[in-house]
Amino acid sequence: MMELKYSEILKLNKELPKTLKSSSYTISIISNIIVHQIKEILEYLLRTEGINANVNIGDYDNIIQSSTKYKNANIVIIFWELSNILDGLQFKIELFSQDQLDKILEKTKSEIDFVFKNLKNTSLVLINRFSSIHFSSLNIKKNNFDLLADQLNQYLENKISSNIRLINVEKLIANIGLGKCLDLRYFYSSKALYTVDFFKEYAMYIKSYVMSANGKSKKALIFDCDNTLWKGILSEDGFDNIEMNPRTKDGAVFAEVQAIALAFNKQGVLIGLCSKNNHDDIDEVIKSHKDMQLRDEHITINKSNWTDKVTNLKAISKELNIGLDSLVFVDDSPFEINLIREKLPDVTVLKVPKELYNYPKMLRNINGLFYNLSYTDEDKIKIKIYKDQEKRESAKKTFNDIDDYLSSLGLKMTIFKNDETFIPRMSQMTQKTNQFNLTTKRYTEIEIQNFINDPNVIVVAFSLSDNFGDNGLTGLSIIVLDENSKSSVIDSLLMSCRIIGRNVEFTFIDFIVNMLKEKSISVIESQYIKTSKNGQVKEFYDNCFFKLDSENDSTKKYILDINKYKSKQLNYIEVINE
Amino acid sequence: MSNNIQEQIKNIMSTVLDVSLDKINSNSSPDTIESWDSLKHMNLIISLEEEFNITFTDDEIFESMNYKLIEAIIIEKKGNN
Repeated sequence: MMELKYSEILKLNKELPKTLKSSSYTISIISNIIVHQIKEILEYLLRTEGINANVNIGDYDNIIQSSTKYKNANIVIIFWELSNILDGLQFKIELFSQDQLDKILEKTKSEIDFVFKNLKNTSLVLINRFSSIHFSSLNIKKNNFDLLADQLNQYLENKISSNIRLINVEKLIANIGLGKCLDLRYFYSSKALYTVDFFKEYAMYIKSYVMSANGKSKKALIFDCDNTLWKGILSEDGFDNIEMNPRTKDGAVFAEVQAIALAFNKQGVLIGLCSKNNHDDIDEVIKSHKDMQLRDEHITINKSNWTDKVTNLKAISKELNIGLDSLVFVDDSPFEINLIREKLPDVTVLKVPKELYNYPKMLRNINGLFYNLSYTDEDKIKIKIYKDQEKRESAKKTFNDIDDYLSSLGLKMTIFKNDETFIPRMSQMTQKTNQFNLTTKRYTEIEIQNFINDPNVIVVAFSLSDNFGDNGLTGLSIIVLDENSKSSVIDSLLMSCRIIGRNVEFTFIDFIVNMLKEKSISVIESQYIKTSKNGQVKEFYDNCFFKLDSENDSTKKYILDINKYKSKQLNYIEVINE
Repeated sequence: MSNNIQEQIKNIMSTVLDVSLDKINSNSSPDTIESWDSLKHMNLIISLEEEFNITFTDDEIFESMNYKLIEAIIIEKKGNN
C-alpha cells in the first residue's frame, strides 16, 4: 500500500467492498484535529486483508461527545493531539503560569477518565500517546509542552486496562521522519496536521491490533534450515562448517535470527522446521551443535525430509490444527518461495534478503503479524504495577455525564448585535459553514453590511469562550422583522463546527427568542433547508419545540408562538450581551 | 501535452470528488460540484501534488478553488520544470 498514490487508494477502496462478504467491521476515529484522510487508507488496507472495515470519523474536536456516540464501534481510535488541547497550545503553554499548567493538566486528565469511562465496554480502544515532538523536536531543554506530554503519558499508562492500548506515534514518526509526517500548510488554516504518508504508516502499524481482534494473527513461524537458520548447506558443507556463531560476520546474522525466533517462541509463537534434508542430520544439529540456539524444546514441529514443501506445510497446518493462513514461512530459495506463493497463497512467505544484514530487521518487523491482544502473565504484572500507582493518585474531578462535563468548561457566550467590525468574519461563516447551518444561505460582505443597515434585520453573532480561551466568533443568525404584524423570520442560523457538541445552540435560541420578545414580536418563523451536509440539524427546530408547519423533500417550515416557547434552561452557559 | 494535463486533472477530480468524469469541465467549482468542500479540497490538492510531482504553496491551495485556477497553477509549475 505504501507505494500507492492517495487517489489510487480512493479508487481501489471504492471497488473493494463489492468483493467482501464478511459483515461490516466498524472503526470510529474520534479526534480533536482533522484526520479525515485516514478513513479510506485504513479501510483499503483492512479490506485487502478480508476485513470489511467501515471507518467513520467523529466531529472535529469532539472527543468527549464522540466517546458516547461511538462506544458501540468494534474499535475506537483516539487522536488526542497535544497542540489542540486548546487552540495554539504549542506556543501558548510556554507563557502559562504554574496555575494554568496545573489546570490544563487536571482538565485533560478528567477528560481522559470520562472518555475511558464511556468506552469501558468497547471491545478495543486505541489511543495515541501524547507527543510534543511535532513542535519541539530540536528543543534542548524540556519545555512546558514536553512536560505536559510526559505527565499525560504517565497518566495514560496508569489507565491501561484490558480493552485499551496505547499507540506510540513517535515510533511511526521516527520510521518515516518528522518532515514527511507533518503538513503544516493545513495546520493553521484547517487544524489538519498529518500527511497521507503518516496515515499510511499509522494504518500499517495498527493493522496488527485489528487482525488480532479479528482472530487473524499468525500463530506459527516455520523455517527452512540451510541458509535460513545457518549459513551453509548441511549436506554439502558438513556439521562443522555451517555458520551461526556470533563471532563471525555472517554467523552473527544467523545467531541474531535464531535469538529473535526464540523471543517469538517465548511470546507463544510456535516454531517449526520445513527443510529438504535428512531428518537425522537436522536432529543432530538441534541436539548437539554448540552454536544452535533453537533446541528441541522450542521446535514444535520438524518436517525435515525430501517431500515437497507444499505437502509438508499442509501437514504442518493439519498437525498443529491451525489454518494455513496462520503460518509464516521463511526460506532462502526463490524457487521454493514462488512455488508456495502460487500453491498456498494463504501462507505468508518471506524470503531471506540478499543483503544478509537486513535479515534480522525483516524478522523483527513482522512481530506485528503475531500480535495477540490477550495478555500474557508478564503483561498482567506490569498492569498491576500501574494500577497500584493509580490508586496513589490524588483525587480529581470526575464527570458523571456530558452535562457534568460541559458544566466544568466555564462556557461563556458573548453576543454581538449588528456589529460592523465582524462583517468579514460573518460573511466568511455563511460561505464556509456546511454542517450546522439551517438554511445554508451564502452572503457576501456587502450583503451583510446591507442587513446591518436595514432597521428590519438583526444580525446577531456570538463568540464562545471557556476556562482555557476564546474560540472567536463562531455563531451567527440573521433575523428579519415585520414590526407591523409582530412576526419575524429566522433567515439564517449557523454555527462553526469547532464548537458543536456543547449545546450552545440552545442557549443561542433562548437568547434570540428573548430578544424578539423584548421587541414585542409574537411569532417566529423558521426553516430547515436540506443539503447534502446539514443532516445533523434536520431535527434542530423540533428539538427546540418549534411547531412544524409544513414539510416537503427539501424544506421543513416551522412556526413558534413566542409565548409557548420552552427553554432548555441550560445553566452552564453564561450569556454576556455586549 | 497540454490536453494530457487537463485529462489527468479531470481524472483525479473525478476520483477524489466522487463525481463522474462527464460532470467535470473547465467551469467546475464548489458551486457546480456539491461534494467539493474544504476537506475534499485538501484531498484534491494532495492527489494533484502526487500526480504531477509538484507542491502548492498555502496561498495557492486556498486560491485554487475551481478548475481553471487549478489548471493554471499546474501548467505554470510543470512549465517551469
